Formats: sequence, C-alpha cells, structure tokens
Amino acid sequence: MTLPGNEAELLTRVVSGDRQAFDQVMLAHEDRVFSVCLRILGDREKALDATQDTFLTVFRKAEQFQGRSAVGTWIYRIAVNTCYDQLRRARRRPTEHLPDHVDPSDPSAEEAIASAALRPEIETALAALPPDFRNAVILADLEGLPLPEAAEILGVPVGTVKSRVFRGRRLLAQHLGNQTDP
Amino acid sequence: MHEHDVDLIAALADGSLGDETEARALVDSCDICHTEYLEQTEVLALISAAPSARMSDLEKAALHRDLWTELRRAPARTGSTPWWQRWSYVAAGLFVVVGLVGVLNLAQDTGGEASDTTIAAEALSDLEAPAEEGVPFVAGEDGAEGGAETTATTAAAEQTLDLPFAGLADEARARRDEGTMSTLDSDEGSEECLARLGLDEHEVVDEIELDQTYLVVMPVDAQAEQVVTFVTIADCAIAHVDG
Repeated sequence: MTLPGNEAELLTRVVSGDRQAFDQVMLAHEDRVFSVCLRILGDREKALDATQDTFLTVFRKAEQFQGRSAVGTWIYRIAVNTCYDQLRRARRRPTEHLPDHVDPSDPSAEEAIASAALRPEIETALAALPPDFRNAVILADLEGLPLPEAAEILGVPVGTVKSRVFRGRRLLAQHLGNQTDP
Repeated sequence: MHEHDVDLIAALADGSLGDETEARALVDSCDICHTEYLEQTEVLALISAAPSARMSDLEKAALHRDLWTELRRAPARTGSTPWWQRWSYVAAGLFVVVGLVGVLNLAQDTGGEASDTTIAAEALSDLEAPAEEGVPFVAGEDGAEGGAETTATTAAAEQTLDLPFAGLADEARARRDEGTMSTLDSDEGSEECLARLGLDEHEVVDEIELDQTYLVVMPVDAQAEQVVTFVTIADCAIAHVDG
C-alpha cells in the first residue's frame, strides 16, 4: 500500500497528535515491518511485539524525523533496531519458543501463518547465518528491498551490503547443499 | 576474487544489472566465477520465491488496539510542550553553562584547557537548538552532525523524566573499582552504535530498563577517566553522560 500524499506531511500531522495520519502511516508499513521482524526474530509472538514497539517508537520520535531518508526507510531502521534489542534481551533471558498457533476465531490466521512459513531447510539455513549476513539477505532477497535502501536501513555502505548479501547467499548454498547430501 | 567481481556476479544473479556484458564475460571466462554465479542463482530462486509474511486480520486489529492503549497510557512526547516549560529548561541550561564557564575560567587561570570556554559555548548553542533527528541504532543519516544531534537529543531526553542516571553511574564506577564489573557480550548492533556515537574505546557494561532500555557504557581503559554514558537502544542516542 502506498501512502497518499506526502509521507513527511503525514508525519507532521502525527506530531500534532493526528490519529488518522498515524493510522495511515501504520497501514502503509505494518506488513513489511512485521515481515522483517518475523524473518529476523523467527518467532511470531516476538515479531508482533517488535512490530508494536516499532510503531510506538515511530509515534514518539515522529517530531525528530527530518526527511533525510524516506519515511519507510526510517521506520524499517527502527524495526531492525527493535529486533536487535529483542535478540539481546532474549540472550540474557532465554524463553521457550512456542509453535505458532491458529486462533479458531480468526478466519485469516491459518493463511497468515502459512504465508510466513519458509521451507524448513531454508529456515534452518537462514538461522545458521551470521546475523549481519542474515539481515542483509532478509532485506535484499526476502523482502526485495533495493540495495541502497537495505544499506541505509542497516546503517552500512552499499558496498558492505552487497558483500554481505553475496556471502550470505554463498553460505546459504553451502548449508542447503549440506542438508540435501545423503 | 576481487570485490568488483563479487558485485558483478551477485548483480547478474539477481538481475539488477542494466548491461550484463561484462558480468557474462566474467562468468564465462572463470570457473570459480561460474560456480559462484550458479550458487547465487540457485539460492535466490529458493528464497525469493517465499512470499512476505503478513499478520492475520485479528493480529492487525490487536496491534492497533494495543498500540493505542499504550499510547493513551503513556502519552508521547510531541511538539505540545508548553512554551514556558521549554524556556525554563533553556534558562536552567544557561545557568549551568554560565557556572561552567566561570569554573573553567578559574581552571584556565590555574593552567586549564583554553578550549573549554569554546566547548561551553557550543554546549549552550546545542541546548537552545531543537532536538534533531534521533540517530537510529545501527546508523544515522548524517555522520557529520552526530555530535550536535546527540547533545540536543540528550537535552530533550532529560527534559521530561527525572531518571536516576547519577546514582546508576556511581554504582557502575563502584563495581568497576571493586572488580565486580563484567562486560556484556557485544553484538554488531551495539558495536556499530558505539562507533556511530564516537565511543570506539568504550564497552557496554550493563543494560538497564527505565522508561526505555539503556546501554551503560564506560571506557575500556579502567585507568582512564571513568565517564559513564547512557545510550538509548531504540535510536542509538546518548541520553546522559555522567562524569
């Protein structure tokens, strides 16, 4: 979904407490934010928490956005940071990973969970990547973001992202090859 | 393999090259390059076929509901701070800076740094400036403005909440003196954040939860001046410097 009108103008309205403007910003970006968080965290509940935390930060920091990047890039950068924070906390206080469950009252839940599922061998191979390679592959290949935007989100030069994507794919190929070897 | 070759092969694999001539020639002329290219295309075919994950309708509704519940419970800091409150912080800042200048001038008379007055003047201008764009955890948009932004962000962050940074800083120093301080495992996010803030020779010694999550950062060199820096994780900004 693309934002109607000027994104930066919408954020200005968010600063003045315009709930409708904030809802528009959320609707335009919540799916991708959730997808990025889910790929990084690998857990649906944590991804939902991270998505909420991301937009809380977006609302609270909206006045600080000065338009030096696209609104989406700024939001996804917050999302990646939020996920890093969650991962850091999880390392200190490990919690049991519960399988995704289908809420029987939610008709779209089953389809939503199915949409998130990667083939098991790809999930395993992706999880085995070093975090900086994995995040580059997630943004560039899974989410299809242009490399300059992925670089801006990750806060590294474009050349670094290119290298991480290349090496991430190479490691994935090795992992996938090892998984299929008899 | 040269970095240029890596770029070409990766770009050829994901179809992002306008002119593929050079890349094709490379892949055709070099066995290793050809192997790398095949690996890249095979992996891309597997992972790019996966659709984007999405929330269910109920999850989205719950997200919006919970978000607004949270925002109503703890109102966001928007541009609605009363003018008299903003100027009272500026006045307090002026008072501090004037005092600082006085102390530094005294130090100068007894052999202190000549540049301290300039630093104080810069701090004054930073306090008067509105808070600028917060620096995200992994990087900001304009590295050259990092210093002014973080100082302005520090002032803004401390305006609304009375947080016990001074006490926490004293605790951190005490633990280091006692030898009971342990460094937390670093990760690429915090390392890049510290580098971004110019805290290269520093380490994360603790992580605390107050109104939000803060990294407690101290110099790696235990013999150096034990300045304790509190960094907000959400936007990689210096919230408070003690010492």
